[in-house]
Amino acid sequence: MRELAGKLLRLDRRVIFVLIALATLIPLLRPIGLPVRISPEVRQVYDYIESLPAGSVFLLSLDFDPASKPELYPMAVALLNHAFKRDLRVIGMTLLVTGTGMAEKVVSGVASEHGKQRGRDYAFLGYSPGGANVIISMGQELATAFPTDHYGERTADLPVLQGVNSLRQVNYVISLAAGTPGVESWYVYGKEKYGFELGGGVTAVIAPGLYPFLDTGQINGLIGGLRGAAEYETLIGMKGKAVAGMDAQSATHFIIIGLILICNLFYFLTRHTTIRSFGSPQDRPGSPREAGR
Amino acid sequence: MTPSVLIGAWVAAGLTLFMFSFLYKDNPFFRFGEHLYVGISMGYTIVRIYYDVMVKSLYTPVAQEGKWWFLIAALLGLLILTRFIPKISWLSRISFAVIVGFGSGVAIPRIISSNILQQVQGTLKPLLGNAGQPLLGMAQFNALLILVGVITVLVYFFFSIEHKGPIKVAARIGIYFLMINFGAGFGYTVMARMSLLIGRFDDLILFASRDFGYASLVLLGLIAFGLFLWERRSSALSDPDQDRRAAGSDPHADG
Amino acid sequence: MTLFLRRTFPLLLTFLFGVAAALQYYIPHPLSEAALTEISVWLRIILGFAMILGIASLCHVHYAKIRTRAAGWGYSLVVYLSMLATVAVGLWSRGQEEGTGFGWIYTYALLALQGTMFSILGFFVASAAFRAFRARSKEAAVLLVAALIVMFGRVPLGEYLIPAAGPLAGWILNVLNTAARRGIIIGISLGGIATSIKIIFGIERSYLGGRD
Repeated sequence: MRELAGKLLRLDRRVIFVLIALATLIPLLRPIGLPVRISPEVRQVYDYIESLPAGSVFLLSLDFDPASKPELYPMAVALLNHAFKRDLRVIGMTLLVTGTGMAEKVVSGVASEHGKQRGRDYAFLGYSPGGANVIISMGQELATAFPTDHYGERTADLPVLQGVNSLRQVNYVISLAAGTPGVESWYVYGKEKYGFELGGGVTAVIAPGLYPFLDTGQINGLIGGLRGAAEYETLIGMKGKAVAGMDAQSATHFIIIGLILICNLFYFLTRHTTIRSFGSPQDRPGSPREAGR
Repeated sequence: MTPSVLIGAWVAAGLTLFMFSFLYKDNPFFRFGEHLYVGISMGYTIVRIYYDVMVKSLYTPVAQEGKWWFLIAALLGLLILTRFIPKISWLSRISFAVIVGFGSGVAIPRIISSNILQQVQGTLKPLLGNAGQPLLGMAQFNALLILVGVITVLVYFFFSIEHKGPIKVAARIGIYFLMINFGAGFGYTVMARMSLLIGRFDDLILFASRDFGYASLVLLGLIAFGLFLWERRSSALSDPDQDRRAAGSDPHADG
Repeated sequence: MTLFLRRTFPLLLTFLFGVAAALQYYIPHPLSEAALTEISVWLRIILGFAMILGIASLCHVHYAKIRTRAAGWGYSLVVYLSMLATVAVGLWSRGQEEGTGFGWIYTYALLALQGTMFSILGFFVASAAFRAFRARSKEAAVLLVAALIVMFGRVPLGEYLIPAAGPLAGWILNVLNTAARRGIIIGISLGGIATSIKIIFGIERSYLGGRD
């Protein structure tokens, strides 16, 4: 038994790759469609947008590049659909250079599906370098931060931006982010001084790090990962890519949970091991306690 | 379907499979894709900087709106590029001094307010000012747990005093909070990575459809065959017996 | 004089801009706000040039490989050719992506390449989880249990099998995880402020580079 356990622990990783590939592929080809439970933090974003009267200014900052597209693009589609349905004045932009094409495509694509006109119902400002500095610049004066939109039209002349001199006149900002610049930058350099309401849509990697800001109310809602995007799609009654990916997400998670449990089972079978603590006499160099000396 | 979309689908499927071929082992397909990515993203960035910064933020305000003082900013920007000329590279320090000085200064009050004061306030407020809330409810328990967690984690990271006695107990509790945090982070990281995979597979499945000429399937076959040929060639080139025979020093050779 | 320009003047600039930027936050006077507006625009222009620095460094690395015919120089040629082709198409399209060749390169090449490059990590996470994620100690066991609960409770199948798993995962995130992260955020912020102060007062000078 120990020999078998040892052999399985040294399994060629390509076998695991094939398992994961199948766990991803099969549910995508043959979905089951399990219901998605809505978490409070996602509902808070939805409820806030629902509460905004028509004509309110909604700024969506798509601060992600193609690497994060599978998680954040569905969020952008869902949020834009919701915003255009509510007849909000939408401003799109990005703080990441390689995200510009994607951001432009999603904003103009969803807008045209709702019959919205560029310049009158929505604006796409494009990209500007500097991250936090762009947020400060927009907070001071929007027309100075973006003298023209992505297409070369003067922002001061756009009907949709009438009365919007800076971030102080924006009703709701959501940053879809995978790191820095991101939600935290929008809070620290934006909401903190200019007082708009802020929500976040983030990749699952950085989502746990934003819960302290959610807890204090510094952000009023948080959409985390593909799961969060699926919840938002469910709330607005849309069956998009996020909901479609949930079965594959379930399958892959269960495969990994299974692998971890098997690995630990074999690990305990292959050696005499008592679970020790870092505080025990067998402390190894480099343990956290060692670091304190 | 337009020809550009069809060709694009084949290109996207092919490049996706090139990158996935790394799962077998590092190979020329992957390396080609990797370097192509570097080149295209550099080119894309150059174009975006040219139009979004140079034209929109510099040329238009200076040439069309008469804001000539932006040329001073352009000069500071050009000084950065002196980094490449060793004799005058010290000039770039002036620009970096402005960037770093301003960035550091602007961050201090904002981070104090948002990341320290507001976080501390958020920790204490639920315990001190919950009018109308039941005293022994779940909300109070959670708030107390958060307070304990924050303090013990901060104690753990405070290495200026020796961790013994009550400090040691607090630090050990802090470690357990950190482990839960890392565990939640790992769980979410797994979720994120799997989501990325689901996204790419979604595209590959789309490109495997009849509308796109079964692009993914055909290209998968071609790349697999290519890898097979490359593997054979690599094995033939690195076969030691073949080398010895070629050098005429094989003791088992006839003669 | 040369020493003053090379060393002291940049440090003086850092100090002046740093102190001014920090004080500006507490001075809501229109002049102060106007200064912040102006400097933020200047910085956008300067940072645009700084991005060129990164690209130029990459170009230099690959050019050196091609010139010396180092191992893999053919791939460096791929970098250069693809970069030049993208720039040429981008300038031809005047930086617009809707319905242009520039947009085609972005949609069908860059999106595919960058998206796939990071999605490969999914496979490696699974492999690493199997090979390395073992409960060698009590702390590791706690980490493992938390990870399993979150992975189980944040997918529809997990919530379907055990309905309490979802709220439990949510509680771990909203309470226990929040507590630890808050401690980390406060600690990192204190460290960041200390570093910023060191930079402004010239104690930390590594950002200047060079020896003098």
